[in-house]
Amino acid sequence: MRILIEFRGVPGSGARAAATRRTVNADWIRVGRNAACELHLPDPRVPLAQGMIVNRDGLVYIEGESGSKDITRKTVHSVRMKPGVPIDIGPYRMRAIAAPEGYDGAIAVEQVRPLEATADIATRSTGLTLAALGIPKRGAAWALGLAVLVFALLIPAGRVFHLPWSKVAAQSAVGDRVWDPGPLILAHQPIEQKCAACHERPFRHVRDAACLECHRSAGHHVAPQLHRAALFGDSRCASCHREHKGIKPVFRDDDRFCVECHRDLRARVPEATAENVSDFAKAHPAFRVSIPDGAAIRRVREDRTPLTRKSALIYPHKPHLDPKGVRSPDEGRVKLDCCSCHHPDASGRSFEPISMARDCQRCHRLQFEPAVTTREVPHGKTADAVTVIAEFYGNLALNGTRDSFQKAFGVPGEGLLRRVGDPGDEDRRAALRLASVKATRVARDLFAVRVCKTCHTVTQVDKGETLEWRVEPVRTGNRWMPHARFDHRAHAASRCTDCHDVRESKSANDLAMPTIEDCRKCHGGSTPAAKKVTSNCLLCHGFHDPKLPWNGATVGRVAVAR
Amino acid sequence: MRHYSILEYANFRWLKYGLLLATIVSIAYLWHRPPVKPYGGTWLGYTLGTIGAILILWLLWYGVRKRRYRSNAGTVQGWLSAHVYLGTALVVVATLHAGFEVGWNIHTLAYVLMLLVVASGFYGVFLYLRVPEAMTVNLGEETLESVLLRIGDLDREMREKAMSLPDSLVVLVERSVAGTRLGGSAWRLVSGKDPRCATAAALREWQPIARRLTDEAAKLDKEVYEQMLRKNELLARARRHLRHKALLDLWLYVHVPLAIALLVALAAHVVSVFLYW
Repeated sequence: MRILIEFRGVPGSGARAAATRRTVNADWIRVGRNAACELHLPDPRVPLAQGMIVNRDGLVYIEGESGSKDITRKTVHSVRMKPGVPIDIGPYRMRAIAAPEGYDGAIAVEQVRPLEATADIATRSTGLTLAALGIPKRGAAWALGLAVLVFALLIPAGRVFHLPWSKVAAQSAVGDRVWDPGPLILAHQPIEQKCAACHERPFRHVRDAACLECHRSAGHHVAPQLHRAALFGDSRCASCHREHKGIKPVFRDDDRFCVECHRDLRARVPEATAENVSDFAKAHPAFRVSIPDGAAIRRVREDRTPLTRKSALIYPHKPHLDPKGVRSPDEGRVKLDCCSCHHPDASGRSFEPISMARDCQRCHRLQFEPAVTTREVPHGKTADAVTVIAEFYGNLALNGTRDSFQKAFGVPGEGLLRRVGDPGDEDRRAALRLASVKATRVARDLFAVRVCKTCHTVTQVDKGETLEWRVEPVRTGNRWMPHARFDHRAHAASRCTDCHDVRESKSANDLAMPTIEDCRKCHGGSTPAAKKVTSNCLLCHGFHDPKLPWNGATVGRVAVAR
Repeated sequence: MRHYSILEYANFRWLKYGLLLATIVSIAYLWHRPPVKPYGGTWLGYTLGTIGAILILWLLWYGVRKRRYRSNAGTVQGWLSAHVYLGTALVVVATLHAGFEVGWNIHTLAYVLMLLVVASGFYGVFLYLRVPEAMTVNLGEETLESVLLRIGDLDREMREKAMSLPDSLVVLVERSVAGTRLGGSAWRLVSGKDPRCATAAALREWQPIARRLTDEAAKLDKEVYEQMLRKNELLARARRHLRHKALLDLWLYVHVPLAIALLVALAAHVVSVFLYW
């Protein structure tokens, strides 16, 4: 058969409106998506082999068969194609039309619905960049910046500027503590949340007055009322004492601050008594020893030898430290060392004063009557000693047995109360005289000849009827170097004689204080040196030491002394 | 002509300046003997802080300068080179300004933000040194548009040819044509992968179905399958390209917002320090 197939485009779509015609010569016409089909309808909605058209006295469209092995499609529909009877296949509509001359039939195929079209991948693909996805870079920047602004600036600023959220700023975890650059020292932690206690006004330095509010007793290096305080005009407490640097106190402890002035102190402060100093190892004057001189204190440099003091004591160290020992009244030879007499005080830093009773009397007994070894006079006040002696012999005169009376007074007899019968006035006076004469003699022997004079300077004071004894007051212990901090306990590894060599000393007036050279054996300057303890100014000296000569507390005294 | 990277700009001029700055501040830090300990409140601390703050403002100004196409204040390459090297030197300046002190506060926040901005900047430099070359290797003479056009052509051809193939294969082709996505989500852009790619899925399902075909259909199937393979390869290249572009963009999503946060944190740092002086 010979069939004309006329394809028409989508009605109204200009380009496809023009029809194309094809002539097919075949026994049947296959209809389907397959390119092999004579009536090829390219659209996914059309099955591969949709049906076929045969000529059975006119065109008949058969669907569902055409040799398919698919048993589910055995049902066969057939339609006789007549003009005006449309058959829809997918987006296409097919119908018979009047066959022109020479044709067995004619079919018009019209595309009635648009072909299934999928947008091209190029037009379909949007969102090919992060920006195109609408992920906001600026938004993120704004959000982050705003968050920092709120939590790092606005909320914390609440307290200091008394903004409505000041309570939040003071107490909450997101408050002004985020401005805190570091922890305060332990002592200041109770006021850590009271910023205004120190930071009195915004954008102003912390004033010294805020510190002195609590630290009233802090000693001044130079009292503010002295005009030399102007030397410290630029300095604040906080110049040296830094806060928010951790729980341990942090302060300026390098020598530069001290040396700035003390390098050439005499030029800056002509009235200064201290010598120039710049480094302990290289440029530090000889130590000054404070020596009591009457009521005043004499400060003498160690390089101006010999250094002596007036101790009013007769005490040579040398025989006491005899390696063979010293003779004791009843213990034979006793070997003494420093600690036999010098006992550390409770702090361990220094020593307790020498005590006669504890340290001397074991050997230096204060017996006054050779026949009675158990009785000693008390140490301390001379009058008490004299009284004890007088009472002793008075008692003998009253109660002494014949034997003891004879020994004590050198004349036969016995105590007044032991005699038979009432003693007469003459007897009483004789006994009193005996006792008094003996007591005076014994006292003189004790003070001026035998016992006291061993160590003390004793003078006799004649007061008419009575005789008094005066012992020169002894001055032993003293703070020889009061402007230096020294801890004996920290130096316990050294021997006493390393610094105080008294093994050859024959006088208690010898000063056995160490010299700067002794210290320099172990202590270096502020720059580290091999086998030396690096020692800066503050190791021994205190900047705020209340004993400093220009400190407000002592200005008057020093001024007088000068 | 050999390509010079921004790192080599003007014979490493800004590397030299950056090194010079870092060296000078380091020497000053070592030479300086602070009264208590090194920190931002000594004269050197204030000096380093001022230098650091000026550097941060200037580094941020790069974002403005690079958008001013008509500006004649140096070339953008020069600015970028300086941005990289002086930004690196800023780490030294800021660290010495802080005197190696850190804490849970705004001051350390500003410092950490600065480090993060610089670190993300380093990553950006790394990307700019590596990714453009990888982009060239990936696309060759082509562009993303040409690749997409070729995919579109393949789609049309495949569809046409697939008309004569069984329904099950037509469905796969249709799915590949209509369902294949490019981009559309940040993860797909950045990873360069689409685990649910319709084309890849079609290729996986293709062979078991196609094995049953014979004769003409088998020949046609082979052609369509080859086209599908080519399309898959083109898709991989397109996705790699999108990934490269996304990477070049992504680090800025970190770098820029952090830089703005740093600017605010810096302001908070300066204000709070002088507020509680």
